[in-house]
Amino acid sequence: MIFEEPKFNPGGDRFIEMELGDEMSFDLNFLVHSVSGLIRESRTKGIIEIVPELTSIMISYDFEQIGYGDVVQEMTALFHALGPLDDLELDSRMFYLPIHYFDEWTRGCYEDYCAKISEKEWDPQVLVRLNGLSGLDQLAQVHSGTDYWVAALGFYPGLVSLMPLDPRCRLTAPKYNPPRTWTHKGTIGVGGALCSIYPDETPGGYQMIARTPVPIWDPAQRLAAFKQSLALFRPGDRVRFIPATRDEYDYVARQVEAGDYLHNVAEYQRFSIRNYHAWLATIDESVRF
Amino acid sequence: MLEVIKPGLETSVQDLPGRIGYWEQGFPFSGPMDFWSFQLANLLVGNAPGGAGLECQFSGPTLRFQRDAVVAVTGADMAPELDGMPAPMWRSFTVRAGQTLALGFARLGARSYLAIAGGIDTPPVLGSRATFHQAGIGGMEGHALKKGQAVPVAESADGAEGRAGRQVIAARRPPLTGEKNWQIEVVPGPNDDWIDEAGHARFLSSDWLLQARSNRTGFRLTGPDWTFTKLATDKGPEHGEHPSNILDHGYPVGTINLCGQTPIILVNDAPSTGGFINPYTVPSAVFWKLAQSKPNDVYRFKSITLEAAQDMRREINRICTEESIEAV
Repeated sequence: MIFEEPKFNPGGDRFIEMELGDEMSFDLNFLVHSVSGLIRESRTKGIIEIVPELTSIMISYDFEQIGYGDVVQEMTALFHALGPLDDLELDSRMFYLPIHYFDEWTRGCYEDYCAKISEKEWDPQVLVRLNGLSGLDQLAQVHSGTDYWVAALGFYPGLVSLMPLDPRCRLTAPKYNPPRTWTHKGTIGVGGALCSIYPDETPGGYQMIARTPVPIWDPAQRLAAFKQSLALFRPGDRVRFIPATRDEYDYVARQVEAGDYLHNVAEYQRFSIRNYHAWLATIDESVRF
Repeated sequence: MLEVIKPGLETSVQDLPGRIGYWEQGFPFSGPMDFWSFQLANLLVGNAPGGAGLECQFSGPTLRFQRDAVVAVTGADMAPELDGMPAPMWRSFTVRAGQTLALGFARLGARSYLAIAGGIDTPPVLGSRATFHQAGIGGMEGHALKKGQAVPVAESADGAEGRAGRQVIAARRPPLTGEKNWQIEVVPGPNDDWIDEAGHARFLSSDWLLQARSNRTGFRLTGPDWTFTKLATDKGPEHGEHPSNILDHGYPVGTINLCGQTPIILVNDAPSTGGFINPYTVPSAVFWKLAQSKPNDVYRFKSITLEAAQDMRREINRICTEESIEAV
């Protein structure tokens, strides 16, 4: 549910968790990012950083400048100043990312896991079976058939939690248990109802179905997209996955290697939740692509 | 410049307040774990209290100085030696060009801090020199010191010579005793309501062993099992299967993150978010205890109020000023 009033809980002497609800929903996450935007704009003295997540906002504050009670009061006031959900709009950049489905690298990672840690069904097969799909071709169609909403960032620099915006493209999958000790950089994974892109070689738990040659974070800041920030995405951005052949993957990988890859992003769009809701009402959510 | 003869176990450049402004993209603050000792080291040599210095963990580095400098070592006692002769702790002293400062194994505490007048002068990344070595950010090329590197040091603004021969008043230092048993104060929350009464009582009355698999990301603890309220057992499936799973949320620094049945205290380089509950949080004023404890030490947790935690931090803030420094 989405709470009528936000709930606040302390995280030690310098953090506050502000919870706006307790369910996985786009509306709730949109609310989280709208409130986060207001908090940033308010420049409330003593508020240092905020981390918007799926349903909540973690706030760090300097208690010498603002007390716990005052943070709660100010944040509650901002929450109520927001107005009705349907009236909200957010700037939303659209990123186009080439991905190569059912690639040899994630296959190799899966095989390494089976050999060294635990036998399991191949990840794309898990998704096909659990989501009632006809096979790998349909899995790629369904997975790439929607815009994804950057619902949250975190855990590792640049790591994204992506929510599919088209309910006809929702996929669910259990996470690896035990988790993998390594995952290729650029792996596209599905876990729970979320999709993620691995920014670097890290441990992981999402089912792996594809790989992108496009970096989504770069500590060396080689590519133009990283001159301002080491990480590509901001909450409220959207991502569209463009299926790529192996040759197309290699073409992009060579550009990245040469340092002249230009990230494909459209920056002219605002996301209106009213328009989104109106569109949802027109589609049959039970149909798959 | 400091020439790294031996890097030590994991010696890294850190500063305060660390990397601020990028937490929402997943970048931790990093910075020194025992910021109390760290600031006093900087004050001794006339630096700003948050200036960039070295954090030395468990086993310290050996460094050759390429020019004269005033330095101070605080925190854990790693038996510092200057050209083979014992060098003081908690006191600023002069190192001449060509001399070698060596820190050994920590015989009291776990983390030492080395400040040099002028401060370490590695290039800031995202506004900070603090090292986050897991992602290769900040410090010396993103990582802990390596043998053969030359660590740049800035010129001291006001000429550091006069800063030698100062010490921290004994009563203003973190009280390190070598005792293996620690009382660690905690503030309940954010997810204390997911733990039942028996679970809280067990947490606060049990010994918790600090595992060897502990580092600047997290301190893993071994102890009894946790028990939960309905919030943990009677929740939507999107929260995950285990009672300790919750929809991904932000992680406060210092929080006790319950991963299945294993509590992990998330410290300076910890992930910013994740899908486990955080029943208690270690407040900032207690971080020096975490920083100075060693694997197989034993923690007992004591629940305190938010107000008490903030008062403890105010006290450390009062201590970390020039008032705590005296002439030898």
